[in-house]
Amino acid sequence: MVDRPAVVAEDLHKTFGKKVKALAGVSFEVQPGTVLGLLGPNGAGKTTSVNVLTTLLRPDSGRAEVAGVDVVADPAEVRRRIGLAGQYAAVDEMLTGRENLTLVGRLNHLSSADTKRRAAELLDRFALTDAGDRPAKTYSGGMRRRLDLAAALVARPPVLFLDEPTTGLDPRSRLGLWGVIEDLVRDGTTLLLTTQYLEEADRLADRISVIDHGRVIAEGTSSELKSRLGAAVVEVVMEDDDRAEEVRRLLGDRMEASREDETVRVPAPDGTATLATVVRALDDAGLQARGLQLREPSLDDVFLELTGKPADEDALTQHEKEASS
Amino acid sequence: MSTTTTPARSEAGGSSLVWALRDTQAMATRNLRRLLRQPEQIVFNLVSPIMFVLLFRYVFGGAIQGLEDLDYVNYLIPGIAVQTVLFSAGVTGFALAEDMQKGFVDRLRSLPMARSAVFGGRVYADSINNAVGLAILVATGFAVGFRPNDPFGLLLAMLLLLLFALAVSLGYALIGLTVRSAEAVNAATFPLIFPLTFASSAFVPVETMPDWLQGFATHQPVSVVINAARSLILGDDVTAAQRELLLAGQDTTSLVLQALAWTVGIAVIFGLLCTRKYRALVK
Ligand SMILES: Nc1ncnc2c1ncn2[C@@H]1O[C@H](COP(=O)(O)OP(=O)(O)OP(=O)(O)O)[C@@H](O)[C@H]1O
Ligand SMILES: [Mg+2]
Repeated sequence: MVDRPAVVAEDLHKTFGKKVKALAGVSFEVQPGTVLGLLGPNGAGKTTSVNVLTTLLRPDSGRAEVAGVDVVADPAEVRRRIGLAGQYAAVDEMLTGRENLTLVGRLNHLSSADTKRRAAELLDRFALTDAGDRPAKTYSGGMRRRLDLAAALVARPPVLFLDEPTTGLDPRSRLGLWGVIEDLVRDGTTLLLTTQYLEEADRLADRISVIDHGRVIAEGTSSELKSRLGAAVVEVVMEDDDRAEEVRRLLGDRMEASREDETVRVPAPDGTATLATVVRALDDAGLQARGLQLREPSLDDVFLELTGKPADEDALTQHEKEASS
Repeated sequence: MSTTTTPARSEAGGSSLVWALRDTQAMATRNLRRLLRQPEQIVFNLVSPIMFVLLFRYVFGGAIQGLEDLDYVNYLIPGIAVQTVLFSAGVTGFALAEDMQKGFVDRLRSLPMARSAVFGGRVYADSINNAVGLAILVATGFAVGFRPNDPFGLLLAMLLLLLFALAVSLGYALIGLTVRSAEAVNAATFPLIFPLTFASSAFVPVETMPDWLQGFATHQPVSVVINAARSLILGDDVTAAQRELLLAGQDTTSLVLQALAWTVGIAVIFGLLCTRKYRALVK
């Protein structure tokens, strides 16, 4: 049986003011029970897409559907089926963690017994039980994020939207949150997740839509996107350019080696087998490498290939712009 | 859809009006909790009316002339009451702007709650805050010699002031929704409220002001509301001469009707503008 997609975005357009084209024809789908990673640099249109799908913004044109309900025609019904944790944690700092969850439960029209149970359950799940009766303003950034995510889950929404859920978290908190997200998906929640971290999309998302300047510029599974760049490469780093050139000539014609300064790259369609061949060739010639590795293409490479600039560099220039404006 | 678990929220057993009221209650509870956890806010709410009463009663009071033998403290309390509720009406806008700024309103907008509850819960909580402020003010007044002639009139006057505060707080809500900055709302409070309370009949009889100011000071809404409250509180105690001079020569009924007209007018206009502004967030 082919399920109807849980989330549909079809040719969405959104312009702010007269000039800022936040969405210039975004389309994607999320199948029920799967995770779509919306990956893109600052200003790509990730948050705008999420806001349209969660009824916070109305698109200028295009169609969007969540859990089978049109977001423009029946936003109230959409709100009954979604959970949203926005880019900036929207918790009430004066209220305790428990009170925050209780408020959201009540406003979701859960019964008071169910609200209470749910709040306790979620505090426990997000390791906030000890801090549950303290005002949220005493929470660390990671605890706030977890509380915000818990609030999005209070009503057990079948479709969940998380806008950059781990931005600003330290590696340990990030790992913890990833674990929780994976549990949710295992329980059948459909998830749309935006992120600037390639690693995060790689780990959590079943499919990835790469978005830039308000458009989806690539779409597929993580491995599909990687395979666009062809196979892995073996990288040999030598002491200096001369020795590297020697290695290039040695492997040259046989293996299509190329050199950039002291680094020699060899396409490795056979992965570790190619690596082994290279090692043997170097050994036979009595050459000592300073570094040697088999490099699988990363989503970073995909990003570089697609947008002509590394994801991080783009993020950096955008931040600089913001800082100087 | 096999993976779509039935949402636990059930809206059975309640009309949308009932849900709107429950949402309003939930929001009001949240707002009052916040208020109780901001001691500086509470202290300001308590201390400022007391300070004003003492200041005007004991420092300026002796110099205030032209009351046709009306005891100044009886003249003063309704004036300070209006000033008090006008200042706390600013809190409505301030708090709303803060919720906008911190993204809390966005969370609310993604929930299946009644939209009206965002405002309803706000003015509900702020009205309770105002009622407490008024009670403290009246108690302070009693301590320094305030003696209303008509206790029932006093009660009606307080109700009128609460309604007026609600109307004005919608004006502040509009500012809060528009500028989305709590600081900016704060900054707008003083320049708005000072001319309206001081160029009014709140502290001194309008007749003592220069001619060019008298017209404005007599007819602007704050004065109308103060005069109505004063007339209700003083009851039959007012002499004809006092009424002529201090209450624009009008009787209680006509003053109260005018005050209600202003209140309803302000509430409707700003209520509609707020609704429009809130709806426009989706654009
Ligand atoms: N309310 C708004 N008014 C005007 N411009 C806006 C508004 N919201 C977003 N934009 C602009 O639309 C574009 C897309 O913004 P959006 O927030 O969707 O990007 P994003 O991918 O979420 O970026 P980030 O990674 O920085 O969160 C940006 O150029 C942004 O400046
Ligand atoms: Mg964003």
